Amino acid sequence: MTTATVDKRSTSVPVPKPQRSRAKASRSSETRGAWILLSPYVVLLLIGGIVPVGYAIKTALEKPPTPLDPSTGFGGVASFKTVFTDYRFVDTFQNVLATLVIWLPIMMVGIVGLALLIHASPGRFGSAMRFVYYIPGALAGIANFVLWVYLLNPGQSPIEGFWHAIGVDTIKQAVAAPGQLPFILTAMMFFQGVGSWIVVVNGGLNGISEDVLEAAALDGANAWQLAWHVKLPIIRPWIGYAALMNLAYGFQLFLEPQLLDQVASNALPDQWTPTQLGYAFAFSNYNFPAAAAMSLILLVITLGIGLLIVFRSGLFGKEDN
Amino acid sequence: MTRIESWSPGRLARVVSMLFVAAIFLVPIAGFVAMAFRSNDGVENGSGGFLGLGDIAWSNVRYSWSQVNGFGPEGGLFTRWLTNSLVVAAGGAILAVVAALPAGYAMARLRFRARRAVLLITLVTMVMPNTVLVIPLFLEVNAVGAVGELWPVALIMGFFPFGVYLSYIHYLTTMPKELVEAARLDGLGEVSVFWWIGLRISKQVVVLVAFFAFVANWTNFFLPLALLSSNQKNQTVSIGLQQLIGASPLFNPTVAAGLDVKLYMPQLALATFISMLPLLAVFLGAQRFLIRGETVGAVKG
Repeated sequence: MTTATVDKRSTSVPVPKPQRSRAKASRSSETRGAWILLSPYVVLLLIGGIVPVGYAIKTALEKPPTPLDPSTGFGGVASFKTVFTDYRFVDTFQNVLATLVIWLPIMMVGIVGLALLIHASPGRFGSAMRFVYYIPGALAGIANFVLWVYLLNPGQSPIEGFWHAIGVDTIKQAVAAPGQLPFILTAMMFFQGVGSWIVVVNGGLNGISEDVLEAAALDGANAWQLAWHVKLPIIRPWIGYAALMNLAYGFQLFLEPQLLDQVASNALPDQWTPTQLGYAFAFSNYNFPAAAAMSLILLVITLGIGLLIVFRSGLFGKEDN
Repeated sequence: MTRIESWSPGRLARVVSMLFVAAIFLVPIAGFVAMAFRSNDGVENGSGGFLGLGDIAWSNVRYSWSQVNGFGPEGGLFTRWLTNSLVVAAGGAILAVVAALPAGYAMARLRFRARRAVLLITLVTMVMPNTVLVIPLFLEVNAVGAVGELWPVALIMGFFPFGVYLSYIHYLTTMPKELVEAARLDGLGEVSVFWWIGLRISKQVVVLVAFFAFVANWTNFFLPLALLSSNQKNQTVSIGLQQLIGASPLFNPTVAAGLDVKLYMPQLALATFISMLPLLAVFLGAQRFLIRGETVGAVKG
């Protein structure tokens, strides 16, 4: 089939035509074809991305109806003021930062360390370990949460001894002790997330050419020096990509703190993260303008991180050979 | 290949620490799966030995299932939730495939003015956590009066930029420019080139997009929570599990006292285990393609 089309081309190319108008015509038919092919995606992009953002901007600039004054209408930046001056606003971001400070370094050391260990273990043992580390990642979201309820509840936990040793008898004590939550969230998110990132970073390590590693080994580098001085610098882009993606992930924390509060008899703050606060504006206070304003604030933060990832990681622009 | 190495201290330390981490990952999961097969009494008495493995029995599963699926005013809610999850996850995945393939092809192989802009939007929305848009999406769906219905959830799940990126990479790597040029000179229009040639070589990417979309939709929590919480019958299994936790005497004795069913840890574990089975099924179905597409899939992680 390919040869047939090539033959056809060789016979049809020499037909002399004004070069510019032909290029122009093919350009416009290409553009038309592109938009026809893109149309289903563009419709979904509008419904699932552009329109909601536009509508959120509009909603955020309205004033919320109150029992005394049920009218809505243009309210300017009042809803942003409501959000910024909310007594929980600063706390929620501090909580996220407190979690990120603990979680992100542990996560990155875990990802890079385990990926390097796997890369240093060729053959079946390495790939078996990579698969094992990946398994908890399959327990996404709520399933991971129920698993952690099982671990955190001293009543039937397999690490019951550990809980009793530190004087914890109920899940409420385990979760709600002051300052404990960032550590528990770290453990939960590490367990769930590390495996898939190991696969990503391991992919980067597998891209290092054998020659480089052999040359270093001939120079007398041991396994440790090889990892530290040769492999680590080469996979730096992957590490940066993983760090930024996980940083953005930290700002969307919702499920874990929300449900931990539920299993700890509401002993935790009800709105511990920014996303929880936005959720409360919408579903507890029915203050849609404030909820919209809160999501726009989070959107700007994660959009900034997103743009950083796209432009720094080389995802964008590498295709134009 | 098989180099005979001595067990140097470094090698020993590496293998031991890797096995140690593996145990940390596997032991809780093994214990959790065992929990789904245990009895309430056995859990309470702490019988069954290591991870309660001695306590597992099929009769426990039958009892636990009767409790899990007995939840709700007339019972049967759990089965209903599973069905709903299947509908929105599969519906969203089908939409994602239908939209992603032509879009990825157009961005990979056609030149048009807005190409880089569309690509940039796709990449940025792909790397952003999708929860930031949930409240704006709720406001949108609320404005059209469709909160509590399943179709908006499936429709929104159809917007899957990672799928577009996957198919973009797929056509960039598998469909040479020359092939497109040749087909054009044969007189095929741009849409026909995609339809007759592009789609022929798409099996791999169809499976990849459908798989990743289905998994993301099935485990999505925040979107169904915001859009479906108001209608108990139309919830998905991910938020249904949250309801089961909330109705457990372990965490909420007052609510649980008013229920006919008793949801202790074995029942919660069983419900979670069952909710994971469809993911296992699609994973096994897509496995062959996942291994081949590993390098592409690894980008998202």
